[in-house]
Amino acid sequence: MTADLLFYLFAACTLVCGFLVIANPFSLNPVTSAMFLVLTMVFLAGLFVLLHAFFLAAIQVLVYAGAVMVLFLFVIMLLDLKAEERRRLKVFGITTGLIAVGAILFIFLNTLAQAPLGASTTPELEGTTMALGKLLFTRYLLPFEVVSVLLLVAMIGAIFLSKKELK
Amino acid sequence: MNTLLLSHELLVLALGLLVLLADLWLPRGLRRHLGYAAAAGLAGILLFSFLAIRVAPGEVQYAFFEMYALDGLALFFKRFSLLAALMVLLMSVEFAESMPTGVSEYYALTLFALLGMLLASSANDFALLFVSLELITITFYVLASFHRSRMTSLEAGVKYLIIGALSTGFTVYGIALVYGLTGKLNFNELAAVSSSLGGNRLFLFGMVLILAGLGFKIAAVPFQIWAPDVYQGAPVPTTAFLAVGSKAAGFVLLLRVLFVAVPEVSFQWGSLLIVLSAITILYGNLCAIPQRNLKRLLGYSSIAHAGYLLLGIAALSRDGQSAVLYYLGGYLFTLLGAFTVLCLVMRQVESEDIASLAGLGQRSPLLAATLTLAMVSLAGLPPLAGFVGKFLLLKSVIAQAPAQPGYYGLAFVAIAGVVISLYYYFGVIRAIYWSRTAPDLSPIQPSAPIRAALYACIAGMFYLGLFPGTLVNLTEEVVKVLR
Repeated sequence: MTADLLFYLFAACTLVCGFLVIANPFSLNPVTSAMFLVLTMVFLAGLFVLLHAFFLAAIQVLVYAGAVMVLFLFVIMLLDLKAEERRRLKVFGITTGLIAVGAILFIFLNTLAQAPLGASTTPELEGTTMALGKLLFTRYLLPFEVVSVLLLVAMIGAIFLSKKELK
Repeated sequence: MNTLLLSHELLVLALGLLVLLADLWLPRGLRRHLGYAAAAGLAGILLFSFLAIRVAPGEVQYAFFEMYALDGLALFFKRFSLLAALMVLLMSVEFAESMPTGVSEYYALTLFALLGMLLASSANDFALLFVSLELITITFYVLASFHRSRMTSLEAGVKYLIIGALSTGFTVYGIALVYGLTGKLNFNELAAVSSSLGGNRLFLFGMVLILAGLGFKIAAVPFQIWAPDVYQGAPVPTTAFLAVGSKAAGFVLLLRVLFVAVPEVSFQWGSLLIVLSAITILYGNLCAIPQRNLKRLLGYSSIAHAGYLLLGIAALSRDGQSAVLYYLGGYLFTLLGAFTVLCLVMRQVESEDIASLAGLGQRSPLLAATLTLAMVSLAGLPPLAGFVGKFLLLKSVIAQAPAQPGYYGLAFVAIAGVVISLYYYFGVIRAIYWSRTAPDLSPIQPSAPIRAALYACIAGMFYLGLFPGTLVNLTEEVVKVLR
């Protein structure tokens, strides 16, 4: 019962904050948007806790809400996006965007209404750190190792593209 | 653990790291030639692959809990990508002159993108599919914006980044829905349960989202919008690799997802695939007509070719699948030949307009001949590879038509597309030989490795056009692992 209540609370907060990230009626300031994104991440972490994915919840707060978003904020503040605050929204963009979102939402809700939820066996989530670590180093070892190459590529790319002087 | 099945990947990874390290000790003047060393390394790996790696027809060898599959299909695409990367590296050595710095990083990143393609061709699990797709895409973000000093290149990188991130979001969401319903990520395990899930709309919704993510990779309508801009802005070798390697990786994943993981679902999707294929062909060909920029033109033409390749998938038959592989084989030689010529000509002229090809016939008969043959093959005229490929694709579609009349319409659209494409491909040929004004008539001297690559492309186009038997037998053998 409490879990259900908490789920609706967290889900509603996630949705409201997520909406405020992209369309805040009170402020067009990118910093405000970024702060709401932090809140969205925190509420998402709450949802993960309710799913017993404790490790994921901790990582969500530590990495996304903590590290990544702080970097985002740094970049936004360094770039000084004054022009962004004065930007007017285009009618064309809003209409096409709304149509696209509406279409996907329609299909999704329609699907959900007709899907036999709970009929299939959803896997029991074992979100403990140990279980996750075991899976990562046995069953999912190959993708895990490939991610290291991915990080190397991202590092090379970031250094090359942001290096001040081209020698 | 049979890690040895991954020998292609391990060798390419080692080569990439070696190139990255060699940059530390090599004097600056020699770095450009590192590309030759890397290409030689790839040639060695290709040779090793042909000599040492054997897979019996229809046999699948698994590693890492059936996550990684080595079968004829995987081997075909591994050799395909190795060959493509080899030619792209040779091209990059020519291109490197215009790059102020980071040449060795360019070679290394090309190799890492190749690693992603090798893994993608063996992916038998959504986790590996996702990671290998990301490895390819993230590497291409960097490779597309490598010309840092040019605005168009940066624009290409940013556009590819934003649209790529969006498509990744679609894919992940789709995978999450599929996993949430079945608790399975492995294609073999999914195949066991997918027959009962064919009517589950949530499952279908997840599969559609995954299809959308793959649609971005192959640049099929309605996910094609990035292709012309990125093709135009990115450095020529990147464009070539994107057009050949990345597209092929998208197709092998599409084949595996549709015909290994969820065959029951894909057999319901005939009409969806017919519509997608028809619109993609028409969009690519019609939008290519007014283009004056050669790379942009090839961008639209690559959309059209994604449509032709989808013909084979829409046919939902063994013949269709093997025709896709055949077409990709011909496409490799054709497109890489064309891009190698562009790489050499554009370096000299610094303009990408079709008019800059004026007088190419006098400047370098070899380049002019290669580009002409490539255009003829892309248009699908005999006796070149493109003709046989299109013929096989159309044949597979028409073979299905008695059961579903929609296939007749699709075949008609495909033929109409070919007729439209004749106009713009021959516009290029006209610019080569029959331009009134040719501002620059200085001869172009391609280096020996490039000449060899061009001859190989010409030979490939003619061989696949005149003697299709060998490759047709091979592709028919290879697709037996699919449903």
